[in-house]
Amino acid sequence: MSNEPLLNNLLLRQDTWRGRNRSLRRHVIATGNENLDRLLLGGWPVSALTELVTQQDGIGELSLLLPTVKHYASENKLCVWLDPPYQPYAPSLVNEGVPLDKLLIVRSKNSKEWLWAAEQSIRGKALLFAWANRAQPRYSALRKLQLAATESLAPVFLFSPPNALKAHSPALLRLELESLEPNILSVTLHKLRGKMPGAKTQITLGERTTERILLDKLPVNIQYPKMPQTDFPLVQKDDIQHLNT
Amino acid sequence: MKEPLANIQKQTHQIDHDIWLYIHLPQLAIEAVAANLITPLKDGPVAVASVQRNAQRINCCNLNAKAWGVEPLLSLSTALAICPDLTVLAKNTHQEQQLLQQLALIAYRFSPNVIIDTDGLWLDLSGCAQLFNGYSNLLKKLYTQLSAQSIIAVSGVGKSPLAAKLLCGHEFHHYLPSKLEIQHALLATTLNKLPSTAKQQQNFKQLGLATIGDLLTLPRSALSQRFNSDLMNTLQLLQGEKPSLLRHFKPANEFHDKIQNPQGLYNKESLLFPMKTLLQRLCQYLMARQCYSRKIVWQFEPLLGNQQSMSITLSGNNHGWSSLLSLSRLKLERLELPRSIEQISLFCDQFMVMPGLSFDLFGDQITLQENTSELIDNLNARLGVEALSRPTINAEHLPELAGNIASIEKLIGSEQQLGQAQKPLWLLPEPAPVRLHNRQLYWRKPLTIVSGPERLCGNWWQSEQQRDYYLACDSKGARYWLFRESTSKQWFVHGLFA
Repeated sequence: MSNEPLLNNLLLRQDTWRGRNRSLRRHVIATGNENLDRLLLGGWPVSALTELVTQQDGIGELSLLLPTVKHYASENKLCVWLDPPYQPYAPSLVNEGVPLDKLLIVRSKNSKEWLWAAEQSIRGKALLFAWANRAQPRYSALRKLQLAATESLAPVFLFSPPNALKAHSPALLRLELESLEPNILSVTLHKLRGKMPGAKTQITLGERTTERILLDKLPVNIQYPKMPQTDFPLVQKDDIQHLNT
Repeated sequence: MKEPLANIQKQTHQIDHDIWLYIHLPQLAIEAVAANLITPLKDGPVAVASVQRNAQRINCCNLNAKAWGVEPLLSLSTALAICPDLTVLAKNTHQEQQLLQQLALIAYRFSPNVIIDTDGLWLDLSGCAQLFNGYSNLLKKLYTQLSAQSIIAVSGVGKSPLAAKLLCGHEFHHYLPSKLEIQHALLATTLNKLPSTAKQQQNFKQLGLATIGDLLTLPRSALSQRFNSDLMNTLQLLQGEKPSLLRHFKPANEFHDKIQNPQGLYNKESLLFPMKTLLQRLCQYLMARQCYSRKIVWQFEPLLGNQQSMSITLSGNNHGWSSLLSLSRLKLERLELPRSIEQISLFCDQFMVMPGLSFDLFGDQITLQENTSELIDNLNARLGVEALSRPTINAEHLPELAGNIASIEKLIGSEQQLGQAQKPLWLLPEPAPVRLHNRQLYWRKPLTIVSGPERLCGNWWQSEQQRDYYLACDSKGARYWLFRESTSKQWFVHGLFA
């Protein structure tokens, strides 16, 4: 058969659909969360584009990926953050155990540079987190990233705004992240080969005791007694008592 | 029986310790000028002329020109009359010195003792055999590398620098002659090659001395009576009894090289060829010094106007000229150049020591690090240094000072472990004011305080700030890091728990 090498090449690619044979999809890396691993049939797909649609910033979208960052950092790989929406806060990254010298923040000036930097990072075998802050990248641009990712040895993560869900995406995995209450992230599957879209799971991010303070006891919600103005901006005694409770 | 054996051993011992190779470059003058030309020379008769004895005379000519009858010291007009197609170049002593320095860099990779002569190089080969698995291998490699520079070289081998130069033949050695062969050749060398005055040569003739062998058979005491001390000195140098006082070559502390093109270069594509040549020279220099460059600087000088410079920061491990060239090319695309470029120079004065290369069990070189630095260099070259940064940590209390963003060139430490209180992953570039309306905080959405406070104070000598940090969340489950300024009682949001 003269077509055999051609077929083999096609079958080696991650984005070739092979029916319901799940056992063939084995290039995954564990997410560090059992529920999520079950939802994603093993973990984040390696050598593929993963699109994370976050309904809102600050719901724990980054904490979800920290185990993956730590894993690749321990393999001496660089993690490139392309156009993050805010400034990554170093002390908390250190507290989480992420080595800072393995992080690289890249700021692009236009969408052309964004695409170039993303492609370079993927081809440079780095772990890429890209934020589409400008306009949502075109299908062809994402397709380019997906193709580059097939040669990479790491997953590629793209963070998109909620309106991106209306458009098609060449990403291998598409997830929607939202949160109904603090510390609990609800993940909805929108696209994954071998699984029906619409599957959901809930993830608890950290078992931190969030002690709920009665609103009455907080300085915001109480009327301050009018105090005479002092020369020094001292903390009021009443305040301290409230703070200690 | 014992004594002759000991004698032989002593002799072999000696040969292992004193082997000098002299590389003579008969066409150095032509090669030096040709190396700095942007358009390569044609395959015709070529000669270099300079002013000698009050006239323009041929200094050096190639084989093609010799076939026409052109020879050194012929006046230029005669030479042109004999051979009208002769390409005549002006002698450039500076370029010759430059070429010799470059070749010395190559030679330096074969021997730790290299001496530069006016038109050749000396290499002390003693003790270099083992590294190259035998002298013939060493000579073969050396010859290949010299030929790669399109250099015509002939060699001589002797037990002292002077002897090696006297024994220089018409071709390059492919194997090392035995000690006996060297000695025979030296003794058979005619005396007119020996550096001496005309009067001494006259004396040699009167004494009936034709070869060095004749001279050496005479007792030294008789010779020293007849000739002055200079000749005795020369003889001692020749025999290797006295160490040579020539200055040994050391690679320069920084790299600086340039290529000129008087016609001017008009587009960026044509700049790449001379840039490639310069980078190849840089790589030879780096290899000889066993280090990597941290930064290279290009300078483009136009015929008129100001020069333009372009610096490329390297993170290391990028020692191949091809990768340096592609980086320079990326950077060049962003550069606005003057219309025509006359001179291109390359500087490099920041180096780092080449780390020992490690190999894994199966002999594959470990190249993980290489990828990362190559990626950083690529991004750096195209997007500029300002586009790349890295989070850093400082021993400060106020969050905006404790966690910062610094350029990637700065080395960072991440040893510090901070308090146990929850810290957000995202920090806003500037604290954003929160609206307080009817005992309810609003930032994008209504906020509810979940836990806190944690008091953080700034340094009193810098800013008198006291902040109480709270963790808040909104109805959609997003968590924020709020603080209340003690003095102004104003609420701000400072971070997001992503």
